[in-house]
Order: sequence, then C-alpha cells, then structure tokens
Amino acid sequence: MRFDYADPGTLAEARALLLAHGAEASLMAGGTDLLVEIKEQLRRPRLVVDLKRIPGLDALQVDGDGALRFGALVTARRLEVDPRVRVRWPALHQALTELGSIQVRQRATVVGNVCRASPSADTLPPLIADGAQLHLQGAGGDRAVAMEDFFTGPGRTVLRPGEIVVQLRVPAALPRSGRAYLKHGRRKAMELATVGVAASLALDAKGRIAGARLALGAVAPTPVRACKAEAALLGERPGEALWVHAGELAMAGCSPIDNVRASAAYRRDMVGVLTRRALQRAFGMALAGEST
Amino acid sequence: MSPELPGSRSGGALDIVGTSVRRSDVVEKVTGSARYAADLRLPGMLFARMKRSTVAHAFIRRIDTRRALALPGVKAVLTHEDVPRVLHYGSPMPRAASCTRDQYILDRKVRYWGEGVAAVAAVSEEVAEEALALIEVEYDELPVMTTTEAAEAAGAALIHGDRAEALQGNLVVAPVRFERGDIERGFAEAELVVEGEYEGGRPTPAYMEPNACLCHWDEHGRLTVHISTQTAFMVRGAMAEVLGLPLNRVRVLCEHFGGGFGAKQDLFQSEFLCALLARRARRPVMMEWTRKETFLAGRSRHPVKIRLRQGFRRDGTITARQASLVYNSGAYGSHGPGVTAVGTSSLTSLYRCDNVLLEGRCVYTNSPIAGAYRGYGVVQAYYALDIQLDEAARQLGMDPAALKLKNAVREGDLAPSGHAIVGHGLEDCILRGRQEVGWTGTKPPPTRPPEGPLRFGWGMGCEMHGSSAYPGIKEQGNALVKVHEDASATLYTGTAGLGTGAHTALAQIVAEELGLAFEAVNVVHGDTDVVPWDIGAFASHTTYMGGMAAKLAAAEARRQLLERAASRLQVLPAGLEIRGGIVRVAGTDRTISARDAMWPGHGLPSPHIVAHGTYTPTKSYSFAAHFVEVQVDTETGQVEVLQVVPVHEVGRVVHPIAAQGQVEGGVQQGIGHTLTENHEIDPVSGRSLNASFVDYKMPLAMDMPPIRTLLLETAPDPGGPWGAKGIGEDPIIAIGPAIANAIFDAVGVRFRHYPITPEQVLRALRMQREQVRDA
Amino acid sequence: MSARTPRTVPATGTRQVHCTINGAAVAFAAAPFRTLLDALRLELGLTGTKKGCDVGDCGACTVLVDGEPLNACLMLAVEAEGRRIETVEGLAGPAGELHPLQREFLRCGAAQCGFCTPGMLMMSKALLASQPAPSEAEIRFGLAGNICRCTGYTKIVEAVAAAAASLSASPGEDRQ
Repeated sequence: MRFDYADPGTLAEARALLLAHGAEASLMAGGTDLLVEIKEQLRRPRLVVDLKRIPGLDALQVDGDGALRFGALVTARRLEVDPRVRVRWPALHQALTELGSIQVRQRATVVGNVCRASPSADTLPPLIADGAQLHLQGAGGDRAVAMEDFFTGPGRTVLRPGEIVVQLRVPAALPRSGRAYLKHGRRKAMELATVGVAASLALDAKGRIAGARLALGAVAPTPVRACKAEAALLGERPGEALWVHAGELAMAGCSPIDNVRASAAYRRDMVGVLTRRALQRAFGMALAGEST
Repeated sequence: MSPELPGSRSGGALDIVGTSVRRSDVVEKVTGSARYAADLRLPGMLFARMKRSTVAHAFIRRIDTRRALALPGVKAVLTHEDVPRVLHYGSPMPRAASCTRDQYILDRKVRYWGEGVAAVAAVSEEVAEEALALIEVEYDELPVMTTTEAAEAAGAALIHGDRAEALQGNLVVAPVRFERGDIERGFAEAELVVEGEYEGGRPTPAYMEPNACLCHWDEHGRLTVHISTQTAFMVRGAMAEVLGLPLNRVRVLCEHFGGGFGAKQDLFQSEFLCALLARRARRPVMMEWTRKETFLAGRSRHPVKIRLRQGFRRDGTITARQASLVYNSGAYGSHGPGVTAVGTSSLTSLYRCDNVLLEGRCVYTNSPIAGAYRGYGVVQAYYALDIQLDEAARQLGMDPAALKLKNAVREGDLAPSGHAIVGHGLEDCILRGRQEVGWTGTKPPPTRPPEGPLRFGWGMGCEMHGSSAYPGIKEQGNALVKVHEDASATLYTGTAGLGTGAHTALAQIVAEELGLAFEAVNVVHGDTDVVPWDIGAFASHTTYMGGMAAKLAAAEARRQLLERAASRLQVLPAGLEIRGGIVRVAGTDRTISARDAMWPGHGLPSPHIVAHGTYTPTKSYSFAAHFVEVQVDTETGQVEVLQVVPVHEVGRVVHPIAAQGQVEGGVQQGIGHTLTENHEIDPVSGRSLNASFVDYKMPLAMDMPPIRTLLLETAPDPGGPWGAKGIGEDPIIAIGPAIANAIFDAVGVRFRHYPITPEQVLRALRMQREQVRDA
Repeated sequence: MSARTPRTVPATGTRQVHCTINGAAVAFAAAPFRTLLDALRLELGLTGTKKGCDVGDCGACTVLVDGEPLNACLMLAVEAEGRRIETVEGLAGPAGELHPLQREFLRCGAAQCGFCTPGMLMMSKALLASQPAPSEAEIRFGLAGNICRCTGYTKIVEAVAAAAASLSASPGEDRQ
C-alpha cells in the first residue's frame, strides 16, 4: 500500500495531475472508499491526489431558488446535521443517517459517494429522486450532468480523464410533496444496502399525484429510475392499491444479482415491498406538509 | 468434594464475594495504558506477514522466495522447506483427548483457502506485504470438498491421506457413541415420535483484537513470546515441543488480550513462524493478523447436521432419544474430538430420558478450520434438542415451558459427564423466568397484537453446561498466595486475562477466604516464568477451578497467618477468626490487626507466608433458561429480538456485574448466530465470501434488545468456591432455540437451522400461505 | 506554519507533520501512505488507539480530530497537519483524574476485554459534546459504528448515560 501523495492547491493543478498520471492516479476526498480499496488491493494507485487543500470545494448553501448546493468536499456528516437538509431533503437526510457510521460520515463526502458509483450507495437513490445535478470541471470546460445520467456501470461514470465533480445541486422540493428513502439491510447500521428505494411524490391541488420520481439502488448495475412505475403514478389518486401496482412495475423493471448479501429473487421482492412503503411514507409526508 | 481446612470460611454471609467490587484490570483499559500484544515494541523489531494460498486443496509444486528475499527491507522468508517438520496438535499435552495431531508448521500441501504457505519478516508491514507478492507459488490442485457429504462419499480424496493414521471417510477421529437403556423399547413405548434434521452454519468468534504475537530470542537461545492467547502454558508447551526446546527456555507473556471465546486456545501456524523468523533474522518479530486473516485462518464454530428423533408418551415423558451428529471440522482437526464428544454426549442430558442412542462424527473438509468456540459443540446439539421439545409440545397440545419443566434434569439425574446433578437449577430457571415474563398459563405470554405486517411471539430455550472440560481432560488449576510482612497479599495465578473479570473474582475469593480487605490483595498473572502452571481460560472454569485453587491457597495462608497471630496473642489458633484484616479471639474484644500479627519482631527475620493450592476439578453444571420476545416483519422476513430475559443458575455469584456481563455478551453472540452471522464459503472453490465486518454481520449497539438478566444461586456445587459454578458459555447456548421457538410462536413457521435469514422466513411464510390456501 | 516541502511526497519520502495531540504540540515525519492510526501507534508510541480491522468497519480506532470523531485507519497521517487530535490517552486529567466517562465505564462494568473501549470512550465523548442528554436510542445510534463482542453493549450504554448525567451535574468536569 505504498503510494505517492499530492495535495494540490487548485483544481487546475489537480486536473493536470490526473491527466498526467491517467489510471495510475486516484482522487481522494474523504478516503473512506479509496483507502479501503487500496488496503484490500482492489486499487493500486501510484499517486493519490488529495483535493482537500483546494479552496471553495467545501461550500454548502441553500440558494435563493431554494436549491441545495454543496461542493465536492462537503462531508456526509455535515449535511446530515444541517437542519435545512433534514427538513427539506428528508430522503437524502435519511440516507445519510444510514451511511456507514458517524465516524465514516465524518470523512466520507457525498460527491465521493456518488463518484464511487457503487450501485448500492445510499445517497444515490434520494439524489436521483430529488432530481440532483452534478457540476463537472474538465479540460474541455464545465458541464452539468443529471444524476441519473451519471452512471454507466458498477463503479463507472461518465467522467472523462482529468474531469472532476466540483459541486452537486439538488433542487428545492415542489409544494405539497414528500420524499422518503428506505434501505433494506440485515442490521440497523454499517450496512451496504441490499435494496434502497427513494420515492419523491408531489400532489396537485386536488390531491392527485402531479409528480413522481422513484429511484432504486442495489438492484441493477447502476442506480435506476423506475420509469414505468413513475408513469403509472402520474395523475392518479393515491392509495394502497396504487402503491402495490407501482411496486410491481418497479419489480419488473429491475435486474438484481445474487451475492453473499442476498439473492436476486429476494431483492426483487424487497423492491416491491419497499417501493410500496416508501410511496406510502412520501404520501404521508406530502399530506402533512413536511416538505415546504 | 472440597477439602475444608480448619477455620476456613464456608457458606453464610460473605463480605466480598457477591459484591461488584471495582475490577483490578479495568483502569488500564479505560486510560489506554493496557498493553496488548500488538502494542509492544522492541528495538530492531521486524514486522511479519503470511502468504496464504488461493486454492483450497492442492500440493505445492514449487515455491520460490528469491525475489522476495531480494526486496530491500526483507530480512527473512520461510517456506515448508525451511521449518521443522513436526506433527503437532496446535495445543499439546493434556489437551490431547480434545485435540488432533494433524498440523505441521508449514506443509507441502494446502487444505483450505487461505492456509499459510510462507512467512516474511521485514522492516515494515508495507515491505512485508509487497514481499508476499514476490513469492512465487505453483499448485497442483486437488478436488475441493467443502461439504461433509462430499468428504465422506466413497472414493473421496483423503484430505490428510498423506498420513498413515488417516481414517477413511475423512474422519478426524473415530466416531463417538453414547448409549443408555434400550432404545428400541423406548421407541416402542412412545405414543408420539418426533423426528427432524437440524443444521448449524458457521459463526465465528470475531473477537475485536486480531491475533498477534511478538517473539524474540536472547543470546542464550531463550525464546520469549508475547502473545494474545487464552492458554499461555499451552503456547509454551507447543512451542517447546515443536521447536525442540526445554520448557524452561520458553517464556510466554500475556497480560491483556482482546477476547478469544475459545478460539485463542490453539497455537497457530503464524505463531510458530513468528518465532522461527525471529531466530532466522536475529531480531524481534511482530506478527499481527489482519481482520481478514481472523476469518480465513482463525477458528470458527463447527457447522453441523443433526438428525434427532425422540419418542414421547402423551403425558410428555420422553421415552427415547436417538441422534446422529456430523460436525464439519474444516481442514484440520483442532478441537474436533472434544467438540464432537462434548456435543454428542450433551444429548444424554438436559431433558430426562432413560433410553438414549447417540452417534457423533467429525469430518474434514476443505474449509476454514473449526475449533473451540464458546459452547463447544453444545450450542449445536441443544439448538436441535430444545427446538424439538418445542415441536413435541405443540404436537402434544402442551405448553412448551411445561413440557420442558417436566423433563428438566434435576438432583440425582446423570449429567453428560456421568456425575449426578446437584440441585434443581434448571427447574428453578424455568419457573423463575416464567414468572418474570408472565408465562404462567398454558401457553406463552400474550403477544402484542399485530401491527400492520408485524407479528410478535415469545419463545423459551434451555441449556446446561459444565464448568471444566472433565472428563475429556483432567484439568488442573494452581494458585500461589503470598502474605507480605504488612499483611497485604499477592495471588499468583496462571488464569488468563480474558477480560471476563476472572482475576478480580479470584482476588475476591482470596480476600474473602484469607479474611483481608479486598484492596489488600493484588493479582500477578500473565508470565509463565512467574505464575504457577494453569491449563488456560476456557470451559467456563476460571471461577470454578481457578477460584477453588485460589481459595485453597488462601485457606492455607490463613492457617499460617492465624498461627502467627496466635503466638502473638498467646492463644490457640483454633480460637481465632479473621475478617477485614482484623484477627479476633472469638467471643471476646481481643484483637490484633493482621499487619501487627505479620510485622517482624525486633531483631527477627521477616515472616514468609507462601501457600500453594492445587485443584483438579471434576464437574459442576450451570443452568439457564432464556425467554425471548421477537418481532417478525411478514413482508420482509426480518426478525428482530425485542427483549431477552435470561435466567441463569450459577451456584454462587462472585461478582454480579461481571456475571451479567458474561450473559449480555453471550446473548449478543447468540443473536448473531441465530439471525445474521455466517462465515460463507464458495461451495466450489472453497473461497471465503465474507471475511470482513461489512459482510459478516454481528449485532451492533442499535441491534441489541434490552436484556434483563436474573441470576439464581439455588444449586451451589460443593466443588466450587462457596458453591460457585461457571457462566461463560451458558448464555450463548440458550438464546438460539429461544429465538427460533419465538419465531414459531409469532408466525407458526418452524426453523431447524441457524442462521435464519429474512429470505428464508419470507419463503416459509409464502409456503405456509399456499398450504393454507390449498387446504 | 513551517515551510512546505514540494507538493508531491514520493512513496519513499516523508513529510513533516505538525499537530497537537492531547494538548501537546507534536512534530513527526510521516510517509505519505502512513495512516493516522499507524502513525499514532508506531511513530508516536500512543498505542491506546487500537486496530480492529483497519478498514473503518469496527470503530476501535476512533479518535477526535478538531473535536469530531473519525476512524484513524481511514485518515492519512499527513492530513493531521495543523489539526487538534485527541486520543484515549488524553481523556484523563493532567494528574490522572479520570474523566466521568472513564469512571462510569469502570463502575458499570462496561469494559471486559477492553479492546473496543478506547474507541467507545472517544466516540462517547464526541457524542456527549454534541448531545449532552442523549436518550438510550440516541446513545445506541451514536455508538452504531463501534463494535463490541464481549459486553452486548448493555453496560456501555448505561455508562454513557450515567456519564451524561454526571457531566450535566458538574459541567466543568470534562474540561480536564
């Protein structure tokens, strides 16, 4: 586990190092994935590029339009304890409370969690369901990528060589909406999700579903939107039968695998159960006006 | 049974034993100054790592270490070509009945995925790690057998076939058989026969401190080993035997270690290699296991398959019990013989039965080595037995608690060791627990009403377990007590610093017996050069055996102290009592402090009181009944334990908080065993699939339910200090069947294995719905 | 701040790290791949912090950095530059007076083998700093990242609750 270490002072320096060293360099923010992978010999970088000296990457704010914006170095813990996140982005908050442990969250960054692109990562379904967007900086300039378009496979993203995610933006919730995240695990903490479901529902003035986003984790090579289920929800009156139907569509639309954590069949079943429960909870929150 | 010396304290009110005094070893643990093996540093120390196989069964065709040796910073590399070829047990001498002699330090063959093939010592762990990659190994692979069925099949390759004594069918040891009465007549008398197959998975101790040892040789060829171990004298013995040294040239030190639960009784390949690397490099060598290695190369519980068949009369009497147990030993035997014998014979008891026929086998497979782990074969056996009693109760239309109470062994019945049971401990536990949780009618307490998909249920599980490994091993505990000239005292004990509070308990016993204040006694342990020989901390015997040895030593010291006081007071010793450090002439106000009695007179030499106690125990049994409430989510299959009421009968509680601590910790491990823990192996390649804490799931603080422990002292055993018996292993045995039975109570689905996964619960609930629908 | 060495530290080199540990200024040379945990245990002789898994799964190596709890095995030693680090060795007062957490761990029987104890203590300290009167559920949530295999957590939770009560009764005590 011997590597060189650089802590550049600017993004341009960091990008230059990445371009110069290619696959032999790895970016480090919190290090809670990278260092583990290095110790387990799953990754063997010759150079670790630490972003933490670069100014401006740890900004966290809510904009005038109500969107949440935070930089690449903002930790899971910092977001977790922010009262605005807890109230306005409750699915994200819930996911954060279940990510690893407090000690891990003290270091792990949400952008890092996203870039690691594990299909079971906790923050991914809520960010997708909340319509989050990533801001990338690279040699070719800046670009924005929607969360659900960011992933191309397990551990793989659309990031080009030398490109760095500098910021994440999560839009404000619509009025009369609710957002929930449910994670399936064998224990109450320190778990990699066997299934993760994030549901975001918005109601119209008549109480019908005006907006629905449903994102699933750990049941496909990337986190996925359950588009058929979303379509089936739009315009409908909320109710148990509708949730069940959406759950069935979500189940049909995922492709889980067997591994030591769970079988594919069980994961599929849990998609159905958790989708139903997440929708029920999101609906309850929308009624209670918890999202403003 | 216990020789009561004149004037020794017996029964009645005790001052120190029975109170939760401040533990002597814990201050260092909360300040961070307690030194565990991996905390030690010596000048010039090197760091060692093991190269481990990536195949589960193969000959080593070629192993080449030249490139590794050439790496700057590497000081020594050892392969099977460089080390003594001595067959050993892992734990020697008196352990022989329990253990198997089938290990070499390094062999030309590997028998499990992750077995060590070479060891490197280098100036840093990083360099050692890099050197491992430079060691070239070529294997001639052999068929991999990960199940006992495959290993026992006709024509299966013999995993230890290169040894002449290898038994057919990959058996570790000749099968054991226990027979009593007339099994055929027993079944003929039965009005109900219940039969089932029960299966146990592979939980592993997962102690928090990875194995570590530091070895160095002095210029006279004396070896010192600082090591994380439960059995310092076994380490000394095995090292001496295998390395060809006299025992007085090996010194083993272990002051604190971070948990063992049985699995740190063996001596591991890496520890011999640590010593050999130190000798080769002529520098101290530290060998610290990674967490992953504790899974690959440590010791797990024996996976098991049990076929159990019992006959019952309508009134619940058990007329016959027949069982066959097959324990999966993994690649080496370790404690296979002991576990098989103890586990199988445990079925002769717990619930009374006159006609018994039991057979137990232990089979080698190419999987991680199973060894001694808290409960030692009995966790498996009683999981099956207690669940089957629950099944029988349902079929007989009886309350499970009532059926178990009716059949519970009691005073005069034979224990698995062949001794008569003392008292009614098991019945007392059942009755007390029932009262506590409101299980007084003809069925379990009323459960909470369903909440949405959640269902609730109560279950009960019973157990008994011996303190000491008798008769498999004739153990011996020794103690030395010195009383100094100021009447402070020191106990020298070989009992290991397991963390259970054993040394505090021993100090309490010495202080109580000697008649001094608790603070006047200190304990010296952990150095085989200094303390008397002890077989080690296991078999729940530290209080029972170590404590009795300490009591005997203290009694003799007291006798000498009172003699001295008598001559000072000019009275006969028989008329004296001592308590809290004050000697009194019985029935008068004449006193002298122990200090004044001891203090040397003018011009006279200092007194020298040194007393020795030796105790070879037979057996005592502790009992427990656990009452558990569970919640089952019928949509996800997830099971949560909501509360546990463990009731334990232990004869005499020496330190209440330490005793509770044993129960609470055992419950955590048992909940893990039953619901979430399983070290899984790929059935084809033998590769470990979850050698980490992420995927080997132990209950965390958020997963644990409230535990309301009740400790009973209704069946003291005369063989223990003031009747005290063991407690360490009992909790992990009773909790498992209690949970399984509670799940049945909640959702009517019967599980006969562990761990019980949510997926299995869900599948069973589905089948149940289908059966109901089809009916 | 001292003059910096060139930006990249080669694997064969070291960087001087200056930080405070348990209130004392410390300087040491760290290889770039050295974790804070190994630096504490090897370079700095502070072996109170334990290595249970080295990959952030067990919490045995929990230390406080600028008051916040994290796993020292997943932080590089070079990142300690300019930071305020607290380990279990600094929990007691200058004359050895035990912190209420240490006292309560002793009194309640919250340490058996003791290997998880330093991590538990440091995590508890951070927990009580941000939540001076935690409920049992909050304590269990706070300690979810610390594995214990001996105690079943019951007495650890008791000890933390008792320490919380003790600290709120005499607030100055933890400032030792």
